[in-house]
Amino acid sequence: MTGSLIRPTRRALLGAAAALGAGATARTARAQSLRGTTLVFASWGGAYQEAQKVCYCDPFAAETGARVVQDGPMNAARFRTMAESGAPDWDVVDVTINTLFSGAHDGLLEKIDTTVVDTSRIAPQFVHEYGIGCIAWSYNLAYNTRTFPAARRPTTWADLFDMRQFPGKRTMLDQPVANLEAALMADGVAPADLYPLDVERALRKIDTIKAQTIFWTTNSQSQQLFVDEEVSIGIILNGRAYDASKKGAEIGIAWEGNIQSVDYLVVPRGSRNRAAAMKLIEVMTRAENQARLANMIAYAPTNPAAFASIDPAISPWLSTSPENTRRGFVINAEWWRQNERRLMERWAAWKLAR
Amino acid sequence: MEAGPVNGRRGAGPWLLLLPAALVMLIAFALPVGMLLARAFTHPEPGLQNFILLWERPVYLHVLVNTVMIAAAATPVTLILAYPVAHAMAHGSPRTRRLLTFLVLIPFWTSLLVRSFATVILLQRRGPLNTLLVNIGVIDAPLPLIYNLTGVLLGAVQTLLPFVIFPLYSSMRRIDPTLMPAALTMGASPVRAFLRVYLPLSLPGLMTGATLVFISMLGYFVIPALLGGPRQTMVGQLIQDQVGQLGSWGVAGALSFVLLAVTAGLLGLLHRLVGLKAVAR
Repeated sequence: MTGSLIRPTRRALLGAAAALGAGATARTARAQSLRGTTLVFASWGGAYQEAQKVCYCDPFAAETGARVVQDGPMNAARFRTMAESGAPDWDVVDVTINTLFSGAHDGLLEKIDTTVVDTSRIAPQFVHEYGIGCIAWSYNLAYNTRTFPAARRPTTWADLFDMRQFPGKRTMLDQPVANLEAALMADGVAPADLYPLDVERALRKIDTIKAQTIFWTTNSQSQQLFVDEEVSIGIILNGRAYDASKKGAEIGIAWEGNIQSVDYLVVPRGSRNRAAAMKLIEVMTRAENQARLANMIAYAPTNPAAFASIDPAISPWLSTSPENTRRGFVINAEWWRQNERRLMERWAAWKLAR
Repeated sequence: MEAGPVNGRRGAGPWLLLLPAALVMLIAFALPVGMLLARAFTHPEPGLQNFILLWERPVYLHVLVNTVMIAAAATPVTLILAYPVAHAMAHGSPRTRRLLTFLVLIPFWTSLLVRSFATVILLQRRGPLNTLLVNIGVIDAPLPLIYNLTGVLLGAVQTLLPFVIFPLYSSMRRIDPTLMPAALTMGASPVRAFLRVYLPLSLPGLMTGATLVFISMLGYFVIPALLGGPRQTMVGQLIQDQVGQLGSWGVAGALSFVLLAVTAGLLGLLHRLVGLKAVAR
C-alpha cells in the first residue's frame, strides 16, 4: 500500500529532475528511458540469484536507469497466490517449467512481448508464448569416481539399476519426475517414445533397487549424499554435481539420456511494470550476459551464441553444450502438468508399499 | 473498544491486556488457518469434492494412519527419556536445575532444518557415530540409523523433549518432597512408592507433555522428509505437495481439516481414558 503511494511521487520527482537536466544529450535520454522505474525481480536466492543480479540486472539497470529490487525466494504457492490476486509484488520471476505450464494454463502470466524480446536468439525448444527459458539444466546419472574408476564407469540409466556391476547404495528423487523417465530408459524405452509414460512399468523397474535407494528431497541433500559417499551412484542435477566436484567430491556424471529442464522468466499477470519487465527479459536473453552467468555459476545458456565466450573447462558440464544437448531431451512438462496429481498420489502409495 | 458496562473498569482491565495477544492470534493464526480450512469446502468450487477425493483415493487414508502410528511411537519414547531429566530438575540443587534448563533450551536456538541436517551427518552410514562404533569393534557393519523409522524417531524425540520436560518439571515441583520418604517409612518398596505415590502426582505434567508431543508430531514435515525412508511418509508432506506442487488449496485444506479432526478425536479419546482433569489441573 505504502509502496504504491510513494512510487508515483518518487517517479514524478525523478522525472522532474530529469526534465531539469535538459543539457543531457538525446542519446542518454533515450538510453536511460526507464529512469524512475522500480522493478522487482524474484528468483531462487543464493549464488544463483547473486549471479543473475550481476550478469542480468546490473547491466539492465545501467542501460535503462531503472532500479531492480531483488526478492524471493521463489515459491510456487506464493507465486500462485500473488498472480491470482492480480496485483503481484514481483515483476519478473524465474520459475520452473511446471510453474510456467500451470501458470500459462490457468491464465496467471502475461504474454511475452516479442517486439521487445528477440525470441529468435533463443533455441526454439526454450521459447514459450508466456515465458522465455533463461537457463537449462538436467537430471544426470552421477557416480563416485573412486568406486567406479575410468575402466568401469556407469554410462547409461540401465547402469543405475544394475546392482551386480555397480553395487552400493543409490539415490533418486523423492518425487516421480525424472525418476520415471530414467527407469523407462533403463528398461529399454527410447527417449522419443517415453510419453505418455508407462508409470507402472517404471515403478516396477524402480522396485528392483528400492531397498538400496535413498530418496532425496532437496538439492543440497542430493549433493551431500555424494560428498559424504553415502551413495555411489544416482540421479542428481548437473549443476549440483559440478558444485560438488569443485568442492572436492569424487563425482562424475554421464550425459546419455540426460533429462533436461528449464528455468523460465515470466511476468505474473497484472504486473504494474510490464513494459520494463519485458525489457529486463530482453537483456537476460543476450549472449554476452548468458555467457557471463555460465562462467560464473555453470548454468547452461539458452542462447546458443553464448558458447562462443564460455570457458572450455565449464562447457562439458553444461546441458546445452552442442555435445550434451544432442544426448538429452527436454522433459514433457505439459504431460506432467496433466498427470501431476495422479502421479503424486501414485508415488506416495508406491513409497508406502512394501 | 469501550469497557463493558457491567463490570466497569475493574473487570475490563485484565481483559484489555489480553487484547494484543488475542489480535495477533486472530490475524496470524485463526484467520489464515480458518481460510485454509474454508477452502476445503470452497476451492475450486463450493462442495465436498475435496473430501470425496480424499475418501476415494486410498493413499490419503494410508498416509494418515501412518502419521498417527509414527506419532504414537514417538510419544512414549519421548516421555521415558524426559521423565528422569524433569525429576533431576525438580528435585536437584538450584545449580543442577539451572544447568539442565540451559541444556534443554539449547536446541531451541538452532533451526529445525539445520538440526535435521546435522542429525543426518551424525547418523549416516559413514557418519561419526557409525565410524566410532565400527572402529571400537562394537559393530561389524554400519547400523542403518537414518532413512527409516529409527531416523524419524531420533530426529523427532530430540526436538520434542523440551515440550515434555517443562510441563513435567512444573508438575513435579508441586509434589510434596516428604511424600516419598513417608511412603517408604510406611513400608512401601521404592517401586511401589513410585508407582502409587509419585507417578500419579506427576500425571498432569506427563499428560500435558504427551499431548504436546503427539500433536506436534502429527504435523511434522521436515523430519520425515530428511530422516525418514519411503515408508515414513506423513500427512504434512502430502499437504506440502498439494500446495507447493499442485497449487491445490482445496485438497490441502481438506487434508488439514481431516488431520485436525483426527487430532481432536484422538485427544478426546485420550482424555476420556485418562481423565481430562489431570491435564487441566
